[in-house]
Amino acid sequence: MSKKERAVAKRKKKWDGISNFFRANSIWMLMYCTGCCAIELPQAMTSKYDMERLGMGPMATPRQADVILVTGYLSVKTLRRVIYAYEQMGEPKYLVAFGPCTINGGIYYDAHPVIKSLDQYLPIDVYIAGCMPKPEAVMNGFQDLIDMIKRKEANGWRKYQENKEWYRENQIHALGELRIKDEFHE
Amino acid sequence: MGISIGVGTIIVGLLISAVLAYVLTKINKTTGAWVTVLAPFLALAAVFLLRDSIGTTYSLFFLEFELTEYGWFFSMIMLLVFACVSFFNVYWMKKMVHPAAYNMLYLLALTGTLGAFMAKDFIGLFIFWEMIVWSSMFIIPFGKSRKASVVYYAFSALGSLAMLYGIFYLYNAFGSFNIQEVLKLAATDTTAALVAFITIGIAGMVKLGVFPFHLWLPRAHGNAPDTFSPILSGGLVKAGGFAVFLIAVVMPSYEAFATQLQFMGVSITSYIFILFGAVSIVVGTLMAIKQDDFKKLIAYSSVANAGYIIIGLAMTDALSVGGAFMHIFAHALASAAAFLAVAAVSHRTGTTKMSELGGLIHRMPLTYLVYLIAIISMAGIPPMAGFISKWMLFQSMIDNGMVFVATAAFFGSIGSFLYVFRPLSAVFLGQLSPKHYKVKKAPVLMMIPMIILSGLTVLFGIFPNIVLRIVSRIQTSVGMEGLQFDGTKIIGSNGSLDPTLIVVIFGIGFMIALVIFLLHPKSRKVELMDTYTASEFIYTPELLHYSHSFYAPFERLYKNAPDTSKWYKAILKKVSEIGGFVSYAFFSSKPRIVVFWIVIAMVALLWGGSV
Amino acid sequence: MITIIISILIALGILVFAFLWQTTLSGITRKIVGRYQKRYGPRFYQNFRDIFKALSKRGITHGWVYSFGVIMAVGGIMATVMFLPLFGIVPFPGVDNFFIYVYLFAVGMLGMAMSAVGSGNPLAGIGVMRALTQMVGYEVPFMIVVLAMIYGHGTSSLSELAAIQQTSGFLSWNLVKMPIGTIVGFICLLGMLGKKPFETFIAPAEIASGPMVEYGGKQLGMLMIMHELATFIEISLFVNLFLGGATPIVFGETTVLVGLSSVVGFLLKYSIVYIVSALISNALGRFKIDQVIKYFYKVPIVLAIIQALIVVFLGWGV
Repeated sequence: MSKKERAVAKRKKKWDGISNFFRANSIWMLMYCTGCCAIELPQAMTSKYDMERLGMGPMATPRQADVILVTGYLSVKTLRRVIYAYEQMGEPKYLVAFGPCTINGGIYYDAHPVIKSLDQYLPIDVYIAGCMPKPEAVMNGFQDLIDMIKRKEANGWRKYQENKEWYRENQIHALGELRIKDEFHE
Repeated sequence: MGISIGVGTIIVGLLISAVLAYVLTKINKTTGAWVTVLAPFLALAAVFLLRDSIGTTYSLFFLEFELTEYGWFFSMIMLLVFACVSFFNVYWMKKMVHPAAYNMLYLLALTGTLGAFMAKDFIGLFIFWEMIVWSSMFIIPFGKSRKASVVYYAFSALGSLAMLYGIFYLYNAFGSFNIQEVLKLAATDTTAALVAFITIGIAGMVKLGVFPFHLWLPRAHGNAPDTFSPILSGGLVKAGGFAVFLIAVVMPSYEAFATQLQFMGVSITSYIFILFGAVSIVVGTLMAIKQDDFKKLIAYSSVANAGYIIIGLAMTDALSVGGAFMHIFAHALASAAAFLAVAAVSHRTGTTKMSELGGLIHRMPLTYLVYLIAIISMAGIPPMAGFISKWMLFQSMIDNGMVFVATAAFFGSIGSFLYVFRPLSAVFLGQLSPKHYKVKKAPVLMMIPMIILSGLTVLFGIFPNIVLRIVSRIQTSVGMEGLQFDGTKIIGSNGSLDPTLIVVIFGIGFMIALVIFLLHPKSRKVELMDTYTASEFIYTPELLHYSHSFYAPFERLYKNAPDTSKWYKAILKKVSEIGGFVSYAFFSSKPRIVVFWIVIAMVALLWGGSV
Repeated sequence: MITIIISILIALGILVFAFLWQTTLSGITRKIVGRYQKRYGPRFYQNFRDIFKALSKRGITHGWVYSFGVIMAVGGIMATVMFLPLFGIVPFPGVDNFFIYVYLFAVGMLGMAMSAVGSGNPLAGIGVMRALTQMVGYEVPFMIVVLAMIYGHGTSSLSELAAIQQTSGFLSWNLVKMPIGTIVGFICLLGMLGKKPFETFIAPAEIASGPMVEYGGKQLGMLMIMHELATFIEISLFVNLFLGGATPIVFGETTVLVGLSSVVGFLLKYSIVYIVSALISNALGRFKIDQVIKYFYKVPIVLAIIQALIVVFLGWGV
């Protein structure tokens, strides 16, 4: 690494440090509410737990969002959409997975169309435990995410970039075709 | 050389070049088309050089010409539009049914406008006026529809006849055809002034396309050949402004109607004209919003803009007349540029339907910029020339306290954002349809005139005083108060405007934004189809392009509004009924009718003989 | 030359102040709205965090017009702010015409609309269509009221219109002189700000935030800056036109004290107008776009014309 490159890298690191302060305190969510854990989000958002005091808020499209919430089990059909949405998000981006379904399929462990282990297909920054997780657990998970961003540990998106081939291979292995032409005849 | 260039020379030269264009086109199409490019440019240079000899009279056979300040101004606008548009003729020769005739008529229309603007007497004005009507009448059916030409001629005939009546009435009253002289005399006689105002005013309104005579405009503009629509909208329509200017300002109407009831600072006659202008702003705007054809949309916008022009001219104060002149100028440039952009799009894609196009910015970026500048000017947004004129017109409307007229004008001004944005969004932005993947850039020769027109729009938006000083001189030449300036500032009645400063500040704002933009991480380039679809997979660009019935929720609110064309259809029915009766009664070959008339004639003769 | 440079520096100062003030106030208002909904609410500087976060992200671009439009939008709005008089300081005296604000503002709006539709998303197109349609609704009544005001006071300069209202205390405000006009102005202000019930063009649940649908990263950050500045323009126009501009709240001999209190007076009025509009927004639902137009062409425009006729023919409120 030449001297100039090192200087650029150093400046970038410093800039990232400042940026991470803002990123940690302003997290916009894209809620992918396919599973039952989504029902815990309204409580976390409204007056009881008030997510906005952490600087979090709901957003309409993946382009605007920083974090995608996968709230529960994913079927083969929905995984495609989650991958599409995740890839549309701007960097840095984070993924928070809710409940045991995203770890090992949870109560759907033996259902054939359900994806068992989400981290094979997308990088997960934070898991939130509970079936379903209580709002306290949700808030706790978000606090963890904030701390991780501050400590520069929420690097799932980098991992995804670096190991894109591996992820892509898994995705194609599970889904056959990533972007389908006609879903009614999959 | 010994030949001094005069108006007569220019007109004879143009007539000769019209014949030359016809002959050369018969031999070689492209050569003939180049004549139509060269002739307006030479005429433009010649008229520009005549700037110093304003006030001189010229004669050509039995016709007398006089170069006035306003005649020079109008001629320059017209020549500029003709010269710029003519580049497109070269590309249209192959598509034209009768290229030779087109080229000849094109130059004849130009001769007609120049002659009308510079005529010294009413006879000359009328002859050249008819020349414009006839030449354009024959050009329009070269396009899509023959019926459009009939509608155009019907309205033009109404205007011409009204004008002819007015001219003869004035001759009867004052015994002269001299325009200046007669109009000055008419100003002292309220009845004569009223007749002149209404008859010549109707001729002007028909040409401008002001409500209720606006119906020919979208039909003619929409169906004329793509190269002739910019001429109609940018050029020939403005001749109506000239006619209105003659009776409103040269006469001047504020002296002629000083004894009339004064309403909102103007006489009641002028106010009625202003109201027609206001109605045509509203009608033009509403109709433009719901058009799907690109050309018809701009045609209806010309109706709306004609409303501003007539309001400005009929208000007859320094700012409003100045505003109207600036508007004539700015709208001529902008609408010609917009129509040329349409022509370029139509040349490359073969359609002007907005719902069939889309995403052309990725194929024709310069044409997009030309259209963008044109619409910014048309919508009256700084820093383009259209803003200056609208600002001046608003100033005098507010000064006179014309609440209802101003309501219409404000509505038209904001409504124009709607209709000018639609082609921008539907034709140039959005998704590119696969059938247009192979569309190429507009040819270089087409780009030259478009860039000239856009450049002038921007230039006169930044330094409008170049034009406004000429306008001010026109105003003093017809005995009005001129516009006031202070450096780059235009002094209005209740505030002033500094267009140059606005541009400087906008530049600073733009630079700050640019710096913010460049300081931050570079964006990742993605395909147009990689867009938010709620994670649905869509592969058809047309499905992701919003262009069909764009303002549907707004259009729905006025879909039951009365339609002027129905009134005209009812009139048409009555006229054809009367015509049917006349032809039945007088031009019949049936024996019983002939016998009937013979009997009547015999009785009449015998009756007459016995007395 | 020196004077113009000083003017530009003052204008840049106003620009910076406008951004800082409105962004802070937006944060405070979010907090107030939070309390209104029995929540704790974010920090008052939350909007700064959001803006800088968005700027620091790596977004996407859909071609040159997508980025160029954003720059044009921010540039246009910044230029408009630079013309605004603030606390009686006029950066460019004599040319702070009302129409400049209306039309220079439109440059920014056009830039944003262009960029949004340039992203190729149909929802953006629908959002822009709604924004423009709504503009026809609110802009016309507002301009008629201002027409009456300019006709009455004989000047279209914003700073002079504000100065006229500062001559004899509260009674010379246009709020008192033109009460109907002020109501119309406030309704139109809600439309301009895109507050509910006139939130048709954003409508996050319906058309995925309309024009903003494809933005992320620095483009979104710049549009947020633009939004704050645009809000500043709209509210200070309202305060200057109807509420007397920078009127002092302390009267006395000391010019410094009076001057400072007039700054406070302006900011107080500004905050009240903004917070009230935010509270109204939180209490109401959203109109459909054709309902918006029908409403504006039924109530505010009639009231505006009545107000204008009162001023023009009866001479009241001058």
